[in-house]
Amino acid sequence: MKLKIIPKSEQDLSKFFLLIFPISLTLSLSIQFLRDAYFSFSNLLPNNQIFNYGFLDKLYNQTMFGLTISISLMLIFSYLFSKSIGRLLTFFPLIFLTSIGIVSIEFLDVILNFVPNVKSNSLGNSTALIILKIAALSGLFLFASINLLAKKEAVIFHSAQFIFGGLLYYLISLLIVNKNQVVFSDVLLTNTFYTSTHIYVTLSLIFLAIIHFLMTKTFNSILFSRTLASISFWGFLFLVPWSTAKFYYGSVLPNWLENVSIYLSFSILIPLLAFVVNYLKTIATRDSENSNEVLLKLVNFATFIFIFTNLLNIVSGFENLLPILGLTNFVNLISQGYLASMFFAIIALSYYLIPKLFGREVTFKPLDNFAISGLKIGYILLLLNNLFIGINSGYIWNAGANTGNPTIYGEGFNLAWSLIGINYSLSTFISLILFISSTFFFLSLLKAITSGNVTKVEEMVASNE
Amino acid sequence: MSDLINKVAELLKAPASLVQRSAEARAAASGSSVDDVLNSWLGGENITTSTPKEEAPVEEVVETVEEVKEEAPVEEVVETVEEVKEEAPVEEVVETVEELVKIKEERALTFVLSVIFVGLFTYFFGFLTTGNQATALVEESLNNTVEISNEAYIGAQIYSELNCQSCHTQNVRALIPDTQNGKVLRNKYASEAVLNNIGNIRLGPDLSTNATREPTNNKQWLTRYLNDATSVNREIPHPKYNFLNEQDMNYLVTYLLSLGEINE
Repeated sequence: MKLKIIPKSEQDLSKFFLLIFPISLTLSLSIQFLRDAYFSFSNLLPNNQIFNYGFLDKLYNQTMFGLTISISLMLIFSYLFSKSIGRLLTFFPLIFLTSIGIVSIEFLDVILNFVPNVKSNSLGNSTALIILKIAALSGLFLFASINLLAKKEAVIFHSAQFIFGGLLYYLISLLIVNKNQVVFSDVLLTNTFYTSTHIYVTLSLIFLAIIHFLMTKTFNSILFSRTLASISFWGFLFLVPWSTAKFYYGSVLPNWLENVSIYLSFSILIPLLAFVVNYLKTIATRDSENSNEVLLKLVNFATFIFIFTNLLNIVSGFENLLPILGLTNFVNLISQGYLASMFFAIIALSYYLIPKLFGREVTFKPLDNFAISGLKIGYILLLLNNLFIGINSGYIWNAGANTGNPTIYGEGFNLAWSLIGINYSLSTFISLILFISSTFFFLSLLKAITSGNVTKVEEMVASNE
Repeated sequence: MSDLINKVAELLKAPASLVQRSAEARAAASGSSVDDVLNSWLGGENITTSTPKEEAPVEEVVETVEEVKEEAPVEEVVETVEEVKEEAPVEEVVETVEELVKIKEERALTFVLSVIFVGLFTYFFGFLTTGNQATALVEESLNNTVEISNEAYIGAQIYSELNCQSCHTQNVRALIPDTQNGKVLRNKYASEAVLNNIGNIRLGPDLSTNATREPTNNKQWLTRYLNDATSVNREIPHPKYNFLNEQDMNYLVTYLLSLGEINE
């Protein structure tokens, strides 16, 4: 395995991000497991300033939604962006510095949690580093724009469009979280637009960038329609940022914003259908004999989770459901759904890239299959569990409102807890499955890179040398 | 052929006569027919990659071009111009090619600007304008500031650092399920420490009116519950905060007991 300290090309840089992605994922999932354990079993575990639910939840937000997402974005930017525009990146040394800078700042943000007197907000950004993050990301966005303009090509491959959109919305989410909050509704607005831009849009666009690449390249398929791909791109770019305000239905947000959010949530069906038709028609033209079935299953699974998540986002726009679903785990469920779809797309991309970048074949032996199956089962259980908790706690908050004496706490909540308590305990075990599976995924990648069979192309290169 | 010319002219937003002259020059240079050249342009295919034998549906051709790793359309076009030199009037072809390149540059620019426009529209119209509307509403109302004691303020900071807002909201919605939680909050001005604690997800009860309800309006009960929740309720898990020193615990309890007043 050859790794250069200072990468000379996009492929060298991709190698670095490809290696640190599973580490970051495993770290995030280990914190998720600890956090869930401290929720359900806090009485059995030692509590201190670090090992308590509140701190671990903040740390989880930073590692998962800060560090891991930034690594995912930089991985696809470093590999797919240049592939998509069909040329080497202009200003590569500066792109290398800014992309490494963004990931380093996110990492530093996680570390700063352990430094006393440095405060970070509940969304996972410390005030000390937010300006640096914005500066680095602005730089990268500028270089991406220059590269797109330098392409001088009327039609660019769709992955580049999705990546470009993802970079912009990551930047916008940081601008949103950096704004001062002076009145009550500012907090709700920040939470609304941060969640939609940072999680919903950025993750959707990362997912779509990878899938549009994989569904044509990996399976030798022909993209069914460029128009449908464009509809997906512009649809998700324009509609999804508005879709989270509906979850604050009845709060002090302006009514027009809540109504716009509801209608635009329904409209997500248009880009979603465009994507689904394009995906199915494209995959149908694949070269069945030479297609890697494991990768195909991974891509199909990622797409299934993505469609399921978007359907939940659309369905939750019904006015009758909003009082039940708002402020519950249902909102977390949608974030987790977008995360899961992106993870499976990246896992598929990782297995696709190992032969390309490291010249080693992935044989999909028991270790690899165990990791993939574990992650699939874990995420299906996680999503279903959160769906159950979200809907039931919402219903019981309704029932609880009419139960007992309104001046006495707990009667409604006791009712809710008796129904969903077991599911919170279950969350801990689901998180454990995910943590173990992601560890195996990391080991599977390492094993393939270090001791996998050398690919035929690599052998030919060696014999020529 | 005239239909093809018109379609290409429409696609490139160039005059039909210019497209025809350019296509004839290209056909002469590459040895293919004018129709083939026009068809290749219609599919967005790179000019030099079109050959009569490689006819394929439009999407397929486009896809093939995309998958070429190192594309350099501009240089290729310039090479073609050099090849054409002897067979067509140089100035005319160069003019045509420059125009095509200019159109392509404009399209990339349009794409970049359009994406930035959508992003800025979301940020300015959705986020900033709405925030300004809310602030303007507060300015118009009377009694629009939140008064809070110094002890409660420190308690609010501790509440935020412990991330209590990850499970508890202080957000009473104008909806029937929330009627037992107290009054709907107004858009008051408040310090950052207080605002941080509003919360997103309601895993535990809403705490907007914590101080006006039993048993959480009792200081001793609250202190005992925060130190070890199982000592008062075995069924519901709540993190232990027995690692807080006595002073910090007092600040936190003072803040929680002020929540009925703050959130009126």
